[in-house]
Amino acid sequence: MEARGNRLEAEKFLALNLQPPTSIDLHEGLVMPYTLWFQKAGKEALHLVGGKNASLGELIRADIPVPPGFSVTTEAYHEFLIDGDIKEKIEKILSPIGLQDVASLEEASQRIRELIRQTPIPMRIVEAICSNYEALSQVCEVPDIPVAVRSSATAEDLPGASFAGQQDTFLWVRGCEEVLDKIKSCMSSLFTARAISYRIKMGFPHEKVLISVGVQKIVDARAAGVMFTLDPLNGDPSKVVIEGNWGLGETVVSGQVNPDKFVVDKVTKEIERTISQKWTECIFHPEKGMVCHLDVPRERQEIQCIEDEEIHELARYAKRIEEYYGSPQDIEWAIDKHRPFPLNIFMVQSRPETVWSQKKKEPVLGKKSAYDLLMEKALQRIKIGS
Amino acid sequence: MAQKKGFPMPLEVEYPKELEGWEEMYPSHYLFSKERGEWENRQFWYQDKIHDPEPMPPLDLIFHEAWQISLSQYTTRVFCIPPAQGIAQRMVGCYMFIAPVEPPPPAIIEEKAKLFGKRAFYIFEHYPELWEKWLNKFQALGRQMADVKIPEELPKYVPEELVLPAPQGYYASYELIEAFNMLVNQMFKGWQYHFEMLNLTYLAYLMFADVARKLFPGISESAIGMMVSGADVSMFRPEAELCRLSRLAVSSPKVANIIKSDASAEQKIGELKKTEEGKKWLADMEKVKNPWFYISCGSGWFYYEGSWLTKLDIPFSYMKSYVERLGKGEKIERSLEEISRKRDEIVAEYRKLIKSDEDKKSFEDAFKTVRGIYQFAEDHLFWVEHWLHTIWWQKIRDIGKLFVQRGMLKEEDDIFMFNRFEVPELIEELVIAWALGEGIPLRSKYYMAKAEKRKRILEAARKWNPVPALGIPPEEVAEPFTVMLWGITTEKVQEWLKGMAVVPTEVTELKGFASSAGVVEGKVRVVKHLDELTKIEQGEILVCPTTNPAWAPIFTKIKASVTDIGGLTCHAAIVCREYGVPSVTGTGIATSVLKTGDTVKVDGNTGIVKILKRA
Repeated sequence: MEARGNRLEAEKFLALNLQPPTSIDLHEGLVMPYTLWFQKAGKEALHLVGGKNASLGELIRADIPVPPGFSVTTEAYHEFLIDGDIKEKIEKILSPIGLQDVASLEEASQRIRELIRQTPIPMRIVEAICSNYEALSQVCEVPDIPVAVRSSATAEDLPGASFAGQQDTFLWVRGCEEVLDKIKSCMSSLFTARAISYRIKMGFPHEKVLISVGVQKIVDARAAGVMFTLDPLNGDPSKVVIEGNWGLGETVVSGQVNPDKFVVDKVTKEIERTISQKWTECIFHPEKGMVCHLDVPRERQEIQCIEDEEIHELARYAKRIEEYYGSPQDIEWAIDKHRPFPLNIFMVQSRPETVWSQKKKEPVLGKKSAYDLLMEKALQRIKIGS
Repeated sequence: MAQKKGFPMPLEVEYPKELEGWEEMYPSHYLFSKERGEWENRQFWYQDKIHDPEPMPPLDLIFHEAWQISLSQYTTRVFCIPPAQGIAQRMVGCYMFIAPVEPPPPAIIEEKAKLFGKRAFYIFEHYPELWEKWLNKFQALGRQMADVKIPEELPKYVPEELVLPAPQGYYASYELIEAFNMLVNQMFKGWQYHFEMLNLTYLAYLMFADVARKLFPGISESAIGMMVSGADVSMFRPEAELCRLSRLAVSSPKVANIIKSDASAEQKIGELKKTEEGKKWLADMEKVKNPWFYISCGSGWFYYEGSWLTKLDIPFSYMKSYVERLGKGEKIERSLEEISRKRDEIVAEYRKLIKSDEDKKSFEDAFKTVRGIYQFAEDHLFWVEHWLHTIWWQKIRDIGKLFVQRGMLKEEDDIFMFNRFEVPELIEELVIAWALGEGIPLRSKYYMAKAEKRKRILEAARKWNPVPALGIPPEEVAEPFTVMLWGITTEKVQEWLKGMAVVPTEVTELKGFASSAGVVEGKVRVVKHLDELTKIEQGEILVCPTTNPAWAPIFTKIKASVTDIGGLTCHAAIVCREYGVPSVTGTGIATSVLKTGDTVKVDGNTGIVKILKRA
């Protein structure tokens, strides 16, 4: 039953037998596509689609429901820079920049982004993107399907090099023109003052960090949020901790509300819940034609935003994703308001959990035998007074 | 002495006027005294609501007299748990209060640690064979008790065969004196056996729980409970036997129809005796009655609870519902393999989540230690509290019958109004009168008045709510039962302090353990006394002090259960989870706040019971 809806869409892709337009890399003799459907690019294609998109590809391979979409590859970005003759211009602007110089950092960022904005994307790449976008709309049976356009950098999401939040996300983008526009915005987000200074600080050469962009059908979410495959408070590996709010997940990711919190035991499936007062939600406003923050009506504020069966389903996916990757994960999820359970549940992102995964190599119990443990217990006194 | 925490000191308790004279019902060493005052004031006394939510009938105190000695000696003198001492008891206005005794001096702790290491580990390593030995000697003891002969009457003249050709040498007078003494001794011995491995079982559990919490800081008590609990334990056999008898009944339509009818158990037995199939079925039931019907309808601690033996209506009503369910093609048995398989899966899954190999090994080691011996926690309960106690009730009632026969008491159960030091006095007066000859007066009025007065005091005590605790809570406790069985924690003590100010009619919400998931609304049925169990109607919400396996069959009838006492691993919680019935346990006050007919919402996910409408 899991992921059936997702699989149907994936099957339709196969039926369409889409061949992404490609270019030939003369040095390596490899075919380098401008776009790649998520399911075709996993971790082996990290250099082409970036961390975020590669992880979506991996999730699909693990049979996890992921909204359909495609990556605009680093090759597309690369050729955009070359064809537009801006690669060297950027390098020239950046070469004299130092960390301390805040004003010139900001100025350099402005100039580079303007440069990118004004440079047209080469026609062959535009065609590749638009043909994929149209295919996506066709498969989803929605003309000009609303999509999320997100950057996916090649050095992002790697353990120890967290670029999280440094690149942009655009929600509810419709129509080919707008998609292309936002793709460019994502590309230019590689050159925000913050991103530039971060790279200088961490010693990443600017030219080595390439960017890919993900174009993904947006989940019109009734509720969404994040989950961890361990308890981030105490590192308990037997728990899945889910946080969620009404509407799209941005309010939870950015910490704008106190989300509902569910701690699910991976083994017994027991749920420990904290229901918060959720006063704002991020949803698509049909009249304004954009995503807005709206007040949550009073009567919905203190209601559990996801059903118990959905909690269990999410926890099940969390376990599967953790097993697939072999390490604790930090996952974004969304629940589609238009689909029936369990076809309404989607994962939109997964990245390695970084805090607890780094420690805990030492045995917690200190290599003790049952005899030691019992002796210890027998000598122990339980505090009851305060 | 200054009151640091807000509980009164032992000698400061004020008793209602109606309780006047309660002290006479119990041995004097069960009362707080000035002579031991300094020591008594240093201990923390709390009401034992698990075993004695109700006022104590004088003769039923014997079980407690026996456990105070036995439990304590295993900790202090036998297995020598280093910093722990025993549990002391006192009576407070007919209620049992207990205190974990303060730790011994450091030198003693050191001495005990050496003995403990050697003695305790031997038991863990040899548990299976020790259990075999235990069961054999315990069953032998029970059979001895069952064989104690209580004279059916004090004969006008002893039968000739006891005189000729050679006098037996002792007669009914001595036999009665000896019988009671033997019963008392056997009960004390049974309770010595009761704790033979229980202290270690609890200690092993606490050790394993610690290990689990270190590896999985958020693990619930119920998950730990699930990992160690056994499926194939004696406590579940009575229910299994009823299932078996029900299946047997279904194989003969005549028998099934009689079992399914609305008649009383007595009438059903009468009907069954009229047919061959019925007789066969009855014979089969007789075969398993001992030991499997020797099960208390309550906890096994009070004479008035009755057992399946004395209240056949209870097992028959369960069998009625089983036969009906079998008719609908339902499965009635708990699948032991299924339960064991689930438990093994749970253990394996947690084990898989452990990161380092060293931890995996320690976890397995700890699990093996607790898993073997944990059966004892569930097995001993049937044999001691149910089987042996049921034999005891039968024998004591036989003595009670003699008192009634001789006009000394009004009803046979009035014997329970006298403590175990007083019963010999009644027996002596009775046999003296018999021995002295004809026309000897007995002080019937004196005894009858005493029994009546005590019944009145107990009734008054039932309406009285004593403070939950006395004295100053200690900083720390090392006694394993206090922690595990009574669940004494900082929170619990704080709750008691808060609870002392609660007015039952003003409560709108109760909080307990969320022990079985689900949310339902429905009408309350308060079952405080176990006779009320059969009154439960389909779809009601059971509200009771606590439950035990003898109640299991009613869980198919109820919509939810709410208890005063018990955590996530208590019987009610386990059975509710099995049947998918929402449950909130350990509310502390449900039976005093809720009334039959109230409408409540039970939330087994959050542990909250909301009162929606008062009856």
